[in-house]
Amino acid sequence: MLDLVWLIPLLPLAGAALNLFLPGPARPGRRLGKAAGWLATALVGLGFVLAVATLVDLLGLPADQRAHVTDLFDWISVGTFNVDVALRVDPLSITMTLVVTGVGALIHLYAIGYMDHDPRFGTFFAYLNLFVFFMLMLVLADNYLLLYLGWEGVGLCSYLLIGFWFERPSASSAAKKAFVTTRIGDAAMLLGIVLIWLHIGSLDFGVVFGRGASELTKGAATAIALLLLAGAIGKSAQLPLHVWLPDAMEGPTPVSALIHAATMVTAGVYLVVRSHVLFELSGTALTVVLVVGLVSALYAALASIGQFDLKRALAYSTMSQIGFMFFAAGMRFYTGAMLLLVCHAFYKALLFLTAGNVLHTLDDETDMRRMGGLRADMPLSAAWFAIGALSLAGIPPLAGFFAKDQIVGFAATSDRELAWVLASVGAFLSALYIARPLFLTFFGRRRGEEHAHEAPALMQAPLAVLAFLTVVGGLFLGLTAQGGRLARFLEPVVGAVEHGEAVLSDAALISISIVLAVAAVAIAFWVWASGRVDWEAFPERQPELAGWLANAFYLNTLYAWLVQHPGKAFGRALTVVDDRVIDGAVNEVAEDVVDASGVAPRIQRGFVRSYALAFLFGAVALLLFLGLRA
Amino acid sequence: MAVDEIVFWVFAPISIGSAIAMLLQRNAVHAALFLVVNFFTIAVFYLVLGASFLFAVQIIVYAGAIMVLFLFVIMLLGVDREETLVERLRGQRVMAVVLGAGIAIELIVAIRAGIGFATKAPANFDETVNRGGNAQALARVLFRQYFFPFEVTSVLLIVAAIAVVVLASRQRRAVTRAEAVSAGHREAA
Amino acid sequence: MSTPIAYFVAVSAMLFAIGTVGVLVRKNALVIFMSIELQLNAVNLALVAFSRMHGNLSGQVVAFFSMVVAAAEVVVGLAIIVTVYRRRQSASVDDLTVLRG
Repeated sequence: MLDLVWLIPLLPLAGAALNLFLPGPARPGRRLGKAAGWLATALVGLGFVLAVATLVDLLGLPADQRAHVTDLFDWISVGTFNVDVALRVDPLSITMTLVVTGVGALIHLYAIGYMDHDPRFGTFFAYLNLFVFFMLMLVLADNYLLLYLGWEGVGLCSYLLIGFWFERPSASSAAKKAFVTTRIGDAAMLLGIVLIWLHIGSLDFGVVFGRGASELTKGAATAIALLLLAGAIGKSAQLPLHVWLPDAMEGPTPVSALIHAATMVTAGVYLVVRSHVLFELSGTALTVVLVVGLVSALYAALASIGQFDLKRALAYSTMSQIGFMFFAAGMRFYTGAMLLLVCHAFYKALLFLTAGNVLHTLDDETDMRRMGGLRADMPLSAAWFAIGALSLAGIPPLAGFFAKDQIVGFAATSDRELAWVLASVGAFLSALYIARPLFLTFFGRRRGEEHAHEAPALMQAPLAVLAFLTVVGGLFLGLTAQGGRLARFLEPVVGAVEHGEAVLSDAALISISIVLAVAAVAIAFWVWASGRVDWEAFPERQPELAGWLANAFYLNTLYAWLVQHPGKAFGRALTVVDDRVIDGAVNEVAEDVVDASGVAPRIQRGFVRSYALAFLFGAVALLLFLGLRA
Repeated sequence: MAVDEIVFWVFAPISIGSAIAMLLQRNAVHAALFLVVNFFTIAVFYLVLGASFLFAVQIIVYAGAIMVLFLFVIMLLGVDREETLVERLRGQRVMAVVLGAGIAIELIVAIRAGIGFATKAPANFDETVNRGGNAQALARVLFRQYFFPFEVTSVLLIVAAIAVVVLASRQRRAVTRAEAVSAGHREAA
Repeated sequence: MSTPIAYFVAVSAMLFAIGTVGVLVRKNALVIFMSIELQLNAVNLALVAFSRMHGNLSGQVVAFFSMVVAAAEVVVGLAIIVTVYRRRQSASVDDLTVLRG
């Protein structure tokens, strides 16, 4: 099975090709009809089964030999620059593969119901399958160039899917924004890859992390790690390249769940964990990871509290959670980052898809001020959302508790008390911001007029599975003293966790985080669900603070002033140059050409052999020139 | 004088001679036959150069299949009559020969500058590179290093086959028997 | 192997030049096509000779590919000649002057 791992990405690629290119009588994008969705889901599901089989094979090997590289074929071979298409199966990549195919298959299944009435049903699933293919290439790649291929591929699919409803101007501009913003990071990342090649002479993970790492100087490692980090920041929507993620919510909700919550945006975390050798070599880069993660987590948590759009609130929450993952990776607590990544994929997909249920029944209404009290009409969805939200808030024994508690607890060592305090504040804010949409949407009094009804069974089934995973995932993966099953499984790749000198006992730390989470949920209930606080009047009473939160500290406006307006002014200046100077010259040349072309036909007699003679004359003259010069 | 030198000095004049003869033949069938001779001599060079697989392919595919296809088309079209000697393009022949000689001289000068006329190939080609037989050694390179291009050529062949079917099928109108006969008469005239 | 490699390459260069002249002076499309085949073969010969010199089979592989491509090219080219002949009842390239400026 380890050698057949290439089948896993191939299946969704085949699905994408079938859905895009299969000829048929019906109009494009709907050729297979309803079968398109089932085909796509089945292929990703089959990929999950294969991934499980691979996992079983991998577990059959001794822990220190759990890395298997399948060399498929030469990709680029120019001089000493050799890149193979090779797939690496090790605990880290198989964990990501299981998340991508598992959560991916569930979201595909959900989308069959959600996208039911869309005229481009088949195209949607083709893009979704293509995304899964590129994501799998990203996580299974055995060298940086193949990883980059997947990296850009998921960016492309993200663009296509954010702009899937491109008839809406907001969707198409959000897609462009996502593409351009992540491109900034990607360009830096490509430079980082080039630097790796220049310094080490190979892009294979085995070489780079083995022989290569020992040859790197500290400065080179810092440069490489920071450039790679820039790519990770762009893809994972961390400060300062986060502005695209809230806008990306213009895409269909299954896309938000799969790409902008569960998988693609966590690729940055994967990249950092995969390249941890380079980051550790640098040291500085690791500190940058820590600071970026912590600041992003706090920033996004505050911004989420200011949102009234359900999906944007969840988007900022995703950014905040990924901030926690970066924070963990920055402390060299990679297993913690990966545990949060996996658990976050479960409960954030659950939250987004439940939000999809709400949007679906309310005719794409996303403003939480016009929701409220939906619990009565949608009891199941309310239960799913509650499970997801409480998990994110860190209420035991749900998945989020284990993941986040470990990370916050890990920070509580003598040399970084400030980070621990800030992370605890972040955890408290997380509980607050995620309880808020729960209470605003499902509790309190009804503020909208639309009639709501529960989503069909086809859409509820994947939610039930995700809810189950959210309940037991943390217990299964994260419990026990050595950091849990996942941590021990990942150890051969990322090394053993080094705990610092703790300032408080484990029991005290756990108590603090539970108290914080419960307090935050209680406060949220009092403010947004009890009816005793007039939260709707808050923006009028505190326009300053509400404005800062709702607009995420005006970073978008700042970017507009820094980049957009100067860009437009520069563009206008260029227009003048273009009209007068360049067009003037071009028009003049064009007129000359028209004059000259009156002469040309006399040379063109139409005899092929004359042309061939002229051709040969050129060849002889060129050879003569080269010969005389040499 | 080693065997390969004798072979070279026997076949090189035949090779050049048959090529020039092809050029001078006014009859297309004769030209094709001289080209076959030339292809055979090239096949012999392949053998001397240690490419025994290409030797076989050259004879079977080139001198065999491709040239038969040429002769078939010559016969099919009935153009095996002699070409007119009148040259309508002024200076074409002279310039062609001058420039042809020019490119030959330039290439030979380049060869002299590049590898020189004394460089000899390493002697142990058959023991090292061709170990286990030329076909086997070639297969190792072809199916490992050049596997993907090899598969692409199969696509190329399919595309070519489809293209020929499309080109050769008579879409506009079927040529009637009478037209074909009158065309034949015009040819004969 | 006592023949210098350059001799083979020189033969190849001469054959190439002869093929070039053939393309330029002949009027029958079929003979022109044969001349092009001669040029292709000349290049193949050079490839095989250099392959022998460097002790690397890549040259032979490229010659092999060029034969495959030549086979594809011959069938398409001949089909084009047949089609042209069917329309114009002539295989002389001097009758094809629609590209006249």
